[in-house]
Amino acid sequence: MSTRAIKSAPKKQNPFLRDWRLYLMLVLPIAFYIIFCYKPMTGIVIAFQNYNMKKGMTGSEWVGLANFEFVMSQKSFSTALGNTLLLNVMGLVAGFPVPIILAILLNEIRATGFKRVSQTILYLPHFLSWIIIGGMVLAIFSPTTGVVNSLLMKWGWIDSNIPFLTDGWNWRILYTLVGVWQSMGWGTILYLSAITGINMELFEAAKIDGANKLQQIWHVTLPGIRGTIVILLILNIGQMMNISFDKPQVLGNPKIQEFGDVLSTYVYRVAFPNGSVGNFARSTAIGLFQSVVGLILITSANFVTNRLGEEGIW
Amino acid sequence: MKKLLSIMMAIVMLCTMTAIAVAEDDDWITLRVEAYDRSIAGFNVEDCMQLRYAQENFGDPNHIKIVFVPASRWDEGTLLTQWYASDTCPDLCLTYSGDLVNQMIAEEGIWQLDDLLAEYGQDLVAFLGAESLMPFGQQNGIQWFIPARRLNVANVGNFIRADWLAALNMEKPTDIEGFTAYLYAAKDANLGGEHTVPMHLDLYEANPLYNVVRITDAFLDFTQITEEDWFAYAGYHELLPGTKEAYRWLNQLYNDGVIYENFFLDNATEQDSFLVNGYFGYFTMQPDQPWRTDKNYEIELETNVPGASWTSVNCFKNESNGKYLHDIYAANGLSIIIPKTTDEETAIAAIKYMNWMAQPENMFFLQNGIEGINYLEVTADGIPTNVQSADNVPDENKMHAGDICFISNGLYYGSDEKNALGIALGFPAQYSAEIAQSYVDAYIDAWTQTSFTVPIQASVDYGAEVQSKEAKFLTDVITCAPADFDAVYDAAVEEIIAAGADKIIEEQRGAYLDGNYRGTFPGM
Repeated sequence: MSTRAIKSAPKKQNPFLRDWRLYLMLVLPIAFYIIFCYKPMTGIVIAFQNYNMKKGMTGSEWVGLANFEFVMSQKSFSTALGNTLLLNVMGLVAGFPVPIILAILLNEIRATGFKRVSQTILYLPHFLSWIIIGGMVLAIFSPTTGVVNSLLMKWGWIDSNIPFLTDGWNWRILYTLVGVWQSMGWGTILYLSAITGINMELFEAAKIDGANKLQQIWHVTLPGIRGTIVILLILNIGQMMNISFDKPQVLGNPKIQEFGDVLSTYVYRVAFPNGSVGNFARSTAIGLFQSVVGLILITSANFVTNRLGEEGIW
Repeated sequence: MKKLLSIMMAIVMLCTMTAIAVAEDDDWITLRVEAYDRSIAGFNVEDCMQLRYAQENFGDPNHIKIVFVPASRWDEGTLLTQWYASDTCPDLCLTYSGDLVNQMIAEEGIWQLDDLLAEYGQDLVAFLGAESLMPFGQQNGIQWFIPARRLNVANVGNFIRADWLAALNMEKPTDIEGFTAYLYAAKDANLGGEHTVPMHLDLYEANPLYNVVRITDAFLDFTQITEEDWFAYAGYHELLPGTKEAYRWLNQLYNDGVIYENFFLDNATEQDSFLVNGYFGYFTMQPDQPWRTDKNYEIELETNVPGASWTSVNCFKNESNGKYLHDIYAANGLSIIIPKTTDEETAIAAIKYMNWMAQPENMFFLQNGIEGINYLEVTADGIPTNVQSADNVPDENKMHAGDICFISNGLYYGSDEKNALGIALGFPAQYSAEIAQSYVDAYIDAWTQTSFTVPIQASVDYGAEVQSKEAKFLTDVITCAPADFDAVYDAAVEEIIAAGADKIIEEQRGAYLDGNYRGTFPGM
């Protein structure tokens, strides 16, 4: 690529003509973002309207911030907001280092066959739907009939059931750990490719200097993937306000509602209440609020990173 | 060469498209009709026997192409909301969501039907009853929607195990005390094996107290409940005097291991399997549920546990008024609407279609199918009998009576007596007596469900939140330790009220005082 660029530079060929195949490949992703991300964005105006489905976006009455005021005055909203942030922070703290450690461990495995098998087994949970995982969690952690409780009881290690699913904090921890288990394998992919990009000569030089395995990891591998770690951390911080719908919906139950109700489940209830009319304007208001806070978070994280001398996203 | 090929391909495609356009360009119109899809194995809603019959007998002579647009029965409200919001509704839509219809009326997003019905729908109006049914679809003197006629308004069935009663040497219980004794005796005797859980309790998220309210209503203190309160608290009986004791009783049952421990963990399939494996001693559903042909709890139970059988029980006696309260549906079923996005010509076709459907011979075919395939014989009264369950019917003849012939909610044979006879004949013959008894029980001291003829705005604003608090309420008050019950109960009630139940109740009270309500008060 680089030699070609040098060769063609003097001709001053139009870059679009030169790399038209690459630009052609870009068309689909760009179309995707325009159609599914930018075009629907016009819909956020309904957050400021008393939205009437027949009059549509142009004909509905403007109500200023009334939808935001209604939603934010609801106790459930603040509960859901707090839970979203808390579960995401717990997920980040517990889940962020795991793929890094796993990637380094996988990288150190020398037996190719064993490495491939381990990787496949680690990736597997990523492909399971949350409905299936929910069923597994129920089978393993149910109060009396669950595998864990019944085994512990049988061995006489506990006198009464451990309420994994019905105690608020137990549930939060379980939710976090299940999330880590589900995504850790998949998360290693980016780090593994970053590790592959590290110049092998650095490892050799370290070895010659007498560095043992741990020292090599500390002084070569980790600095080598620092950029990737930072970027993923910034992106993760930008996602702090977002939470998937299926995971809390499937793992949650009424008993721990105060601990497990999050913005996505709340938005769903507002937009599509059972047997009643949804309020699209209010759910859009919540979505817009989430996006704005997410934007602030990601911008600040990027700013701090740049200030600390690391390379941010932009 | 390649270029030549692609040009030829393009020409061929163009010709085909013009041909299609020409074929459609005469006086034929397309009528898109919403059809509920219940995922019955082998039954293709978009190309079913009922559609072919309608096309042949109504569509072809009138130059109308009928298309069925499938909608999952369980998500129909959400789907219709999406169609409505995006202007992609079928021409004839069905819904059970009264709130949604109210919103469409408020937005004038649906056709006013008075003129259309007067000109093209005489048979339809005659079938529904101009005085009896049609007013359900009117607001301010305008006919906004067509209410389906509900023939069978029974709603509550309570079932216990006949074989357990025999084993315990007990009579069918006739009050709460007897019922409690039955549950504990069954538990002590481990009648369902080591997994015995005498009482099934369901947490149906869409309406958390739907099933349990049938039981707790037996504890209502009618000496303290006025008619005004009854309607104001419609849908929120947990806030009426007396129910605290009902939940205290359930709490005790739960703590004594009589109620299924994990009922709130949302695993209906597990409880379903318990029902047919003989672990449960009580459950509540529709009056004919155990014997239905699509999911037959009775036959599955008999197969798994020889000698086992369900029987209807009438034991939830209210001590304050001595009544066995059973709620029944109002006389209207789902609501049928024609959205404004449909042009006048198609709207006329839609009315004509329902008018055709209302004619006896057409309704008979749409509801019963073909003799010798869907049912084997006809009684002297002209009622099909020996009705085949879906798995005994070839795929091309599979049908669903109520969903396609939607103007009638229930099988119609021309008179109330024949319709009642038809219900029992629709099931395998050996269960007729049980089913008949279950229906008798379901109508004892029956009260008609409340509905309001004006939109309750607070219900739209706060209903979903209150509902989610009701799920928490049910879980908390039943599963807490008996010693904590009072504190937990008071806190949970407080949460329901704080989530907006008080606003809904006050608005419902206003609607009652203004006379904008339907339903009956069981009273003293």
